[in-house]
Amino acid sequence: MDLQIRRGEIFGLLGPNGAGKSTTIRMLCTLLEPTSGTATVNGFDVVKQANEARRSLGTVLAGERSIYWKLTGRENLEYFAALYHIPAAAAKKRVDELIERMEIKDRANELVEKYSTGMRQRIAIAKALLARPPILLLDEPTLGLDPQAARNLRELIAQLKAEGHTILLTTHYMEEADQLSDRIGIIDAGKVIALDTPNNLKRRIDQKEVIRLEVSGWHESIAEKLKSIAGIENLLARQQGEDDLWEVNMQANDSRAALPRIVEHISGNGTRLANMNILKPSLEDVFIHLTGKALRD
Amino acid sequence: MNATSLTTPGFTSDLRAFWAIARREWTVFVRYPSWIISLLIWPVIFPMGYILTARALSGVDGSGLTTFQNTTGLTEYVGYIAVGTMIWMWQNIVLWSVGYALRTEQMRGTLESNWLSPTWRFSHLLGSSIPQLVSMLMLLAVSALEYAVLFGVEFRGSLWLTLLVILASIPAVYGLGFAFASVVITAKEANAFVFLVRGAVMVFCGITYPLAILPVWMQTVGQWLPQTYIIHAVRSAALSTDGFAAIAPDLKMILIFGAVWLAIGYALFVVMERRARQTGAIGQY
Repeated sequence: MDLQIRRGEIFGLLGPNGAGKSTTIRMLCTLLEPTSGTATVNGFDVVKQANEARRSLGTVLAGERSIYWKLTGRENLEYFAALYHIPAAAAKKRVDELIERMEIKDRANELVEKYSTGMRQRIAIAKALLARPPILLLDEPTLGLDPQAARNLRELIAQLKAEGHTILLTTHYMEEADQLSDRIGIIDAGKVIALDTPNNLKRRIDQKEVIRLEVSGWHESIAEKLKSIAGIENLLARQQGEDDLWEVNMQANDSRAALPRIVEHISGNGTRLANMNILKPSLEDVFIHLTGKALRD
Repeated sequence: MNATSLTTPGFTSDLRAFWAIARREWTVFVRYPSWIISLLIWPVIFPMGYILTARALSGVDGSGLTTFQNTTGLTEYVGYIAVGTMIWMWQNIVLWSVGYALRTEQMRGTLESNWLSPTWRFSHLLGSSIPQLVSMLMLLAVSALEYAVLFGVEFRGSLWLTLLVILASIPAVYGLGFAFASVVITAKEANAFVFLVRGAVMVFCGITYPLAILPVWMQTVGQWLPQTYIIHAVRSAALSTDGFAAIAPDLKMILIFGAVWLAIGYALFVVMERRARQTGAIGQY
């Protein structure tokens, strides 16, 4: 993998499960040593100058157990401020400032075990911001948050960029990557397979259209028939909840020409077409086009 | 960036971080109230079986104590057993608590968070040992008080010499704990080793009997375990009035073992921590 992240940008790192996103983050934040090659953070080698690299970084790892549940929010921040070698007076001021900014002032002295997932995530982000590091590594920061909390967090990430932080973001939410990232790197099996701005990535397949169907009674033999239609590619079917309703997405060079044959293959044999849409390609479609997989696979 | 980093590296910062780790561990420790039970009840219950067995063998009037007295030079067999079991409990608790300190962080999910910071890694182990040491000193003090009140044990020796031996024993007892903690980061568990070590201490170090009654080969094994010298020295310091001269040879051996075990503990920590970073074991549950 050869990747450079520019100062002051939000870089979205996307890839299917097992592609190497978290491994990349773990190497950059010095938790995992690369088996070969080199990685530098703010100019510091992550193996040879690990402590200098750590001082340049604020990291939020996926999951909500990165803070102490038997300490209060404030105690957690004071503790990590000491670990990040922030002098006592500056630490106190900074902790107050972050408690205010994260809107947890009213509950800062309660044990973290009483917090909601969103509040715990805010403490984890405050922890990453404590030392005012120039670079932030955010691994799935909105995972498990309710829509409102996720929206607030996305706003915060945009503000942090405006304040000059360089941000490396991994996410499972394509819209989030599209909305926040200046550039996106798509990785698969440990290799960068595409790297560009979200708009340029979308332009790669802008002559294609996405056909989205909702079908009941779906079975694999229909998929084989649809894939055999000329100009149809990257077909992915996903069951919707517990019902026998499937969302089927496919990319088409000429949807008007393909539609009659699609309808013909789906009709009959207990299969019913419930809905159909023709859409402009999104970033997720670019991802599917490049990897052959949906992001959540 | 509109502001510079607040991180200020240096010795004072590392010291503050070390203190913060110790304070965090203490705060978390006291927020689990079960520690009071282990502090007050366990020291009395654990040696009770040994004490009552000894009472049965010596007779309630102590008429059968002659052999014990000839071998140990002491009549205070309850105190003798109490000191042995207290030291055994100390080492046992250190193996379970300090030995599992990093593993506990790993299971909480906080080890990686700590490892992300620029703090000296060994501080995490050293810092979390401090509250453990304080609670152990409390346990030893409470135990001594309980034996005095409940069993009428007379600690006729010197409090200061006893404290001196305990202080000198810290490197040996905790060095072994650090070695365990380091192995546990990658091995994930060390129950079998803990059982082996505490079993060896129980059998070879004479926690309830003098080493003289053991076969020669067992006495030789006992001489390679620091707990043998710690138990002997604490007994001399707390139960006899022979003064510093009686504990000096033991003290020398305890300090030598302490230096060796601290060095082994630190070396293992460095090797195992690096290995965990290479294999990605730090974040593994």
